[in-house]
Amino acid sequence: MSTTLTPSANAAALPARGMSPRQRTWRRFFDGPVGYITTGILALFVVVGVFGPMVVKYPSGLGTSILQPPSAQNWFGTDGLGLDVFAEVVWGTRMSLLVALFAGLIAVTIGAFLGIAAAYFRRLDPIITTLTDVMLSLPLLPLMIVVTAMVGPSIVTLTLVIGFFSWPEICRLIRANALVVSALPFIDGARAIGSSPLRIMLKEILPMVSPLLVVNALLTGARAVISEAGLSFLGLGDPDTWSWGRILQSAQRDGVLVSAWWQTLFPSIAILLLVLSATIIGMRFNDSRTASFTGVKP
Amino acid sequence: MSAPLDPTALDPTSITQHGTEVVLDVRDLAVDFVTEMGTVTGISGVNFQLRRGETIAIVGESGSGKTTTVNAVLGLLPANGSVRSGEIVFNGANIAGATEKVLRRIRGAHIGFVPQDPMSNLNPVMRIGDQLAEVLIAHGAATKRDVKAKVVELFEQAGLPDAASRARQYPHEFSGGMRQRALIAIGLACQPDVLIADEPTSALDVTVQRTILDRLSLMTRELGTAMILVTHDLGLAAERAETVIVMNKGKIVEQGPSQQILTNPQHEYTRRLVESAPSLASARMRPDADVLATERAMAASPVILSVRDLAKTFRVRNAATGRREEFHAVDGVSFDLHRGSTLAIVGESGSGKSTIARMALRLEEPTSGSIEFDGTNIAHLGGAKLKALRRRVQPIFQDPYSSLNPMSSIGEILEEPLKIYGLGSAASRREKALDLLELVTLDASVYDRFASELSGGQRQRIAIARSLALDPQLIICDEPVSALDVLVQAQILELMIRLQKELGLSYLFISHDLAVVRLIADEVVVMKAGQIVERGSIVGVFDDPQHEYTRTLLRSIPGVPVPEPLAQSLE
Repeated sequence: MSTTLTPSANAAALPARGMSPRQRTWRRFFDGPVGYITTGILALFVVVGVFGPMVVKYPSGLGTSILQPPSAQNWFGTDGLGLDVFAEVVWGTRMSLLVALFAGLIAVTIGAFLGIAAAYFRRLDPIITTLTDVMLSLPLLPLMIVVTAMVGPSIVTLTLVIGFFSWPEICRLIRANALVVSALPFIDGARAIGSSPLRIMLKEILPMVSPLLVVNALLTGARAVISEAGLSFLGLGDPDTWSWGRILQSAQRDGVLVSAWWQTLFPSIAILLLVLSATIIGMRFNDSRTASFTGVKP
Repeated sequence: MSAPLDPTALDPTSITQHGTEVVLDVRDLAVDFVTEMGTVTGISGVNFQLRRGETIAIVGESGSGKTTTVNAVLGLLPANGSVRSGEIVFNGANIAGATEKVLRRIRGAHIGFVPQDPMSNLNPVMRIGDQLAEVLIAHGAATKRDVKAKVVELFEQAGLPDAASRARQYPHEFSGGMRQRALIAIGLACQPDVLIADEPTSALDVTVQRTILDRLSLMTRELGTAMILVTHDLGLAAERAETVIVMNKGKIVEQGPSQQILTNPQHEYTRRLVESAPSLASARMRPDADVLATERAMAASPVILSVRDLAKTFRVRNAATGRREEFHAVDGVSFDLHRGSTLAIVGESGSGKSTIARMALRLEEPTSGSIEFDGTNIAHLGGAKLKALRRRVQPIFQDPYSSLNPMSSIGEILEEPLKIYGLGSAASRREKALDLLELVTLDASVYDRFASELSGGQRQRIAIARSLALDPQLIICDEPVSALDVLVQAQILELMIRLQKELGLSYLFISHDLAVVRLIADEVVVMKAGQIVERGSIVGVFDDPQHEYTRTLLRSIPGVPVPEPLAQSLE
């Protein structure tokens, strides 16, 4: 027996440092042009949203050339008030991203907290699950319209409404995953060491479900952009700030949805690109994370 | 890959019966796997011959390539694996790289297979008899008319009592042992020339293991089937097979008659394996004098954990009636653990041993009874008092893969207990973590790594290191070495014994494996169905077991003679 182990024998036998799970995920993620393209588009929107308004003047007042098609001066044409659509899209990018970010954050925070709490405290589970089910069964768009109409349209109201109505799906998903994690031995280990429930939820379970949170934050953000555009289009957006939805709404209000195609096309492309990129990144990240059981990709 | 396969060569009628005829000849077999990290060689240079009616055993640790070898023979390599070179000659035809169509006619009919895990290898929504009938009909061994009678006959041969009604049941109505019998019946249904059994008893309780292996030997002998037994247990291999093949890192390191491998191993690796196998270890890890000294010291040392009339009742739904019933997981258990000693609780699955560990760790609250730790009854503690207790009693769990948070670095894992109790500064915590790594003989570079980068044995060292972070007095070990390979098992046990000596720790050691318990414990408690059936010093229980159940457990350790009780041997 004693010959089998000298104290240093095991120290020397460390395996060569391989790729960490995170490195492997990113390697899979960027394996192919889709990963680069979608991440590039998202990065471009962020750059435009952050720095664009510093360069482009805020479109306000009345312009001289009304409803002009795209030209060298007005890349995306002008609207019914003679304002530059390009400037509106740039300023709208900032607003849409802000709504997406904060609505996503609100939804993910509430969803993750309730989901993990439901999984860890089995007594809370029926209450939280019922609440989630009720929320999911509500018709969302009419409800959002009613609430926004009652409180009064502003960008803050819009963000809060979208955020507070988007958490149930995240909650349900996180609960399902946290249930699996809660049953793992290292959770028992943490309890036996003396970790408080809050510490276990934040330090043990949350990191385990965090990749899912990233995915869901992206998907919720994308949905928030659509909801914002939809509500703004219906006239429930903030009349004082430019967002992509408001550009569309002003086109609709002026009755030029068909004739001034530039006024609807460019904000629509922006919405499409942002939502599509965010969704693809989210799904691709999720797929890259899971181990491949069938071997190599052909 | 030399000669294309001629299907007629596989016609059973064309095979002449010779006792020494080679049915399976594996020549210079190599298997490659294509992974994300490039091509990896699974096995290489594997040579062996299997004669008609012979049993050979392939022994090795996890990752040694033993399962890859038999999967290659069966043509069941995973999608990213392929035979790079070599031949698998079965009844005169090379089947390496044969098409799926050809292999399908061989598998089941000419090469039978008994898988490792009986729980996941039967279709849960299909009657067991139908699953066997499917094999018989697919290979033309029975017609729709006589298949029922044949199924019953085969189940009877496999030792299933009341075979006719059993055949109409579903897998969930079978115990693990019964399922494995059914799988053996399926594997041998078409009277194959070769039966491959991949760890056929590893997922079963020890007392069931023996009867299953006996049945397997009996049936293969009657049918004249040659068998390849894949196992991690050298003792079991030597007991059951005429020839033992020892594999390590994808290569055969030694093969020969089983007695020779056991008594006169030639290769360094085999020698270490023979020395480490707990079932074979002739001497304990500690010399007898040492054990006797501890025993004397124990009598004098105070009791650190005293359990009295402990009971835990769960309310479960009865599967048959659908009513809620009380299930007594632990029923009136009492024992004392002396400071600085090791008390082992042994039992099969469902005996309640893990529930005791969970109650001692206060992960469960006892239904009744008391648990006194250092003079305080901890059975119903709560709040700050419970937290203070947790500092002095630390756990080590079974599975080193799921007992460490994969998202935390080793440093974070080791410092976590200190952070919970707000001990020390960031710098002093780091120092403590590095000290702990040194204590369990791990390199300091492990500090920044993640658990997924470490081997099973290294992870279990981390688990031990973390349990020592708060300088506890009592460590509750729930099957701490059961998931590890034998060589690693020996190292971990040795480490635990050394730490006990150096730090004066007390261990409550839960295990299903009597062989392992014998290596480390001072006292042993044998449990069955929630109650203690036998207790005593380790020497006493092993040399003179009193209860029939203890003797059954001892008998199921491969290769160990069981002392009969004195009264019986005098008769």
